[in-house]
Amino acid sequence: MRKIAITGIGHTVFGNLSDFDLVDIMAYASLDAMEDAGILDKRDIIEQVIVSNMGAGILNHQTGIASSLVSRLGLEPAMAELVENGPASGGSAIKIGFMAIASGFVDVVMVTGGEVMRGVTGWEATDFVATLLHPEAEYNYGLTLPAFGGMYTRMYMEKYGLTEKDLALIAVKDHENGSKNPYAHVKVPCTLEGIFESPDADVVNNPIAEPLRLYGMCPVSDGAASIIMCAADSPKMKYFTQKAPVYIVGVGSATDTHCIHQRENPLELKAVRKSAEMAFKMAGLNPGDISFAELHDAFVILEVAISEEIGFFNRGKAKEAIRRGETRINGRLPLNTSGGLKAKGHPLGATGVSQVHELVKQLRGEAEEGRQVKNPKHGLAVNFGGFGNNVVTIICSKG
Amino acid sequence: MIDFSVYYPREKDVFARKCPGCGTLYYPAPMVCKKCHSRRDPSGAFFSEWEKVSLGGLKGKLLTWTKLYNLPKGFNQRYLLFGIVELENGLRATGRLSVEHPKTGMDVVARVGLVREKIDEDVYGFIFEKL
Amino acid sequence: MIVNELEQKLRPPEIPLKPYPPKVITLANGERMVVREATRDETGVLLETVYPLVGVPKDFYDIVAARLYAEILGWYRHRVANEFVLVGAIDGEIVGIVNSRLVDEKIGMSLHTLTIKRGLRIGAQLFAAKMEYHIEILGQNEVWIVAESPIGFRRWMIEYGLENREHLYPEVRHELGGVPTYVLTRELYFAVKDLKVSGQRPVPEKLLEGSRPLTPPEEYPQIPGYKRSKK
Repeated sequence: MRKIAITGIGHTVFGNLSDFDLVDIMAYASLDAMEDAGILDKRDIIEQVIVSNMGAGILNHQTGIASSLVSRLGLEPAMAELVENGPASGGSAIKIGFMAIASGFVDVVMVTGGEVMRGVTGWEATDFVATLLHPEAEYNYGLTLPAFGGMYTRMYMEKYGLTEKDLALIAVKDHENGSKNPYAHVKVPCTLEGIFESPDADVVNNPIAEPLRLYGMCPVSDGAASIIMCAADSPKMKYFTQKAPVYIVGVGSATDTHCIHQRENPLELKAVRKSAEMAFKMAGLNPGDISFAELHDAFVILEVAISEEIGFFNRGKAKEAIRRGETRINGRLPLNTSGGLKAKGHPLGATGVSQVHELVKQLRGEAEEGRQVKNPKHGLAVNFGGFGNNVVTIICSKG
Repeated sequence: MIDFSVYYPREKDVFARKCPGCGTLYYPAPMVCKKCHSRRDPSGAFFSEWEKVSLGGLKGKLLTWTKLYNLPKGFNQRYLLFGIVELENGLRATGRLSVEHPKTGMDVVARVGLVREKIDEDVYGFIFEKL
Repeated sequence: MIVNELEQKLRPPEIPLKPYPPKVITLANGERMVVREATRDETGVLLETVYPLVGVPKDFYDIVAARLYAEILGWYRHRVANEFVLVGAIDGEIVGIVNSRLVDEKIGMSLHTLTIKRGLRIGAQLFAAKMEYHIEILGQNEVWIVAESPIGFRRWMIEYGLENREHLYPEVRHELGGVPTYVLTRELYFAVKDLKVSGQRPVPEKLLEGSRPLTPPEEYPQIPGYKRSKK
């Protein structure tokens, strides 16, 4: 398989960008990536643009946005398509770009993910995300993704003895990292006292989908992120002289049942496990080789569950690592060094690309002070679609 | 001949579908049976639509539940309770929970009631109650 | 102060209001917000705090700030009956202001909720404190509620389960805009109190002293680039 390098990364601030146009925001991140790659004035070497987004048609009343983006950037006649895989759109878009280069079809691909969700009310955004669910057996009831987050959290807590304090510890860690990330949606750190210990915590950290609370779920965010990939053996690599390349060494994805109640064991996230196995196999690596990871924590319970499914911890044992502080930035296995979806934010289409952006930033040693992992060699990202029915795992290694 | 059944009020029940080839029950129904590969055709034009099996009134055990405060557009309640239930026939279902203090493992019965009002259409689904 | 006879004619008769017992809320980031009643001699800093937001059209800040400014002045000059003002302050710096007035002993009219520091649910906490004052401390039966922001209003409608009095319009209407009103009754308040009302009493002496004097905010997230000390 061709060796594939990430040669440029770009990112907007995540937050409330609803005053701006979705494609403009994605163009901004794309141009940032081109500048990072040193190819702004040579951007016609990009042969294929892949856009990841979930709601343009529903929320922003726009379709064909891959084509719009190309024009906004003056990249015609580059090929361009949209990949939609719910919250895993970004991971899938990178996977498809990877496949395009690995197959020899093209040499240079730009993947840009973006979402503008704050132009509608919270109820409409919740409803929009709920369209991922099975229309007859789930959506019709008024069920939402957070409702499944809550039900999954309850099952997990009852089986493995994870406590509300553990969930709070994860949120505190995420916000600690996020407060140092200039792109993060939520830069205000929270304290264990504020969200768990104080007698006011019950109200300040109010329940949303019991037992998940406000500080157990990610915010609704707008934003975009972009990466540029090039085959390492391509003559076009000569244009990318600015930064040392980081390599994508493993990619995997898998699906699981649409309805959560149809899973053999609803606590198992088989798609996470299978996609990670595929990625590790391709990379020739084991979970123990990974220096840090971005795990899709739309609900903090997912950081715990995904880390176990991948093999970082034995099932039910992640809580011990959390309590010992092993997943903090200075710990043995830093998780969500960017602040994760919890603090960084979760513009659905951008997240998967933003996760890989973070992998590259850390592996290059470019992360902000206070959130740089020491000497990372390999980073892993899991982008979780639906409620675990379509998951993409990507592993990157330092050059 | 006219099919008068279309004028009768809609059955307020939730149905599983039974594979004609091997008898496996599914809820919700796929388009092909995972075990014997029999195909399903809701239009009944080329293959048969699979037999309906009523799920309303069945007993079950509550596997997990949540109290959801932030409801999506179309709902004005302060909160709603939802749960995943394993029914006595082995199938599982997700639906509204009409139990004020639910406990995992409790026995429930699957009633069918109004769960959502859509334009020109009322949607009926599971409302699990304490047995 | 002996008040001039003519001035007295312009002042509305007042119901003596039981004072609001201050409380302190620990926010998610660990900061402590003191919630207490403001007094008329703090009017200067209140007006100074509200004024810059009159120029912010986004999220209805302009109209809320303009009306709150007028209501604070009305309260200060004794031209509004039975109004009270509560402030939220962290180390004395004002982070939010809420106000209301009493129509009579039993009915309250919620006026405004202004949040300056964002991201910590301060507005939600102060609104709840206002309702606590009306219903628990002043012993009222109901509070009439309306809002400038449709989204903000809908949140209260749903989260508090407000009673719909639209059918009594126009006899029953909210004075802000004269619209059909929604009402928080004693029953509704107590049904959600545990989820909505926080705070510990009494406030430790040092924290309470720290909330005097009140200072206006140095920065406003709603006004990028604004710095009070630069003036």
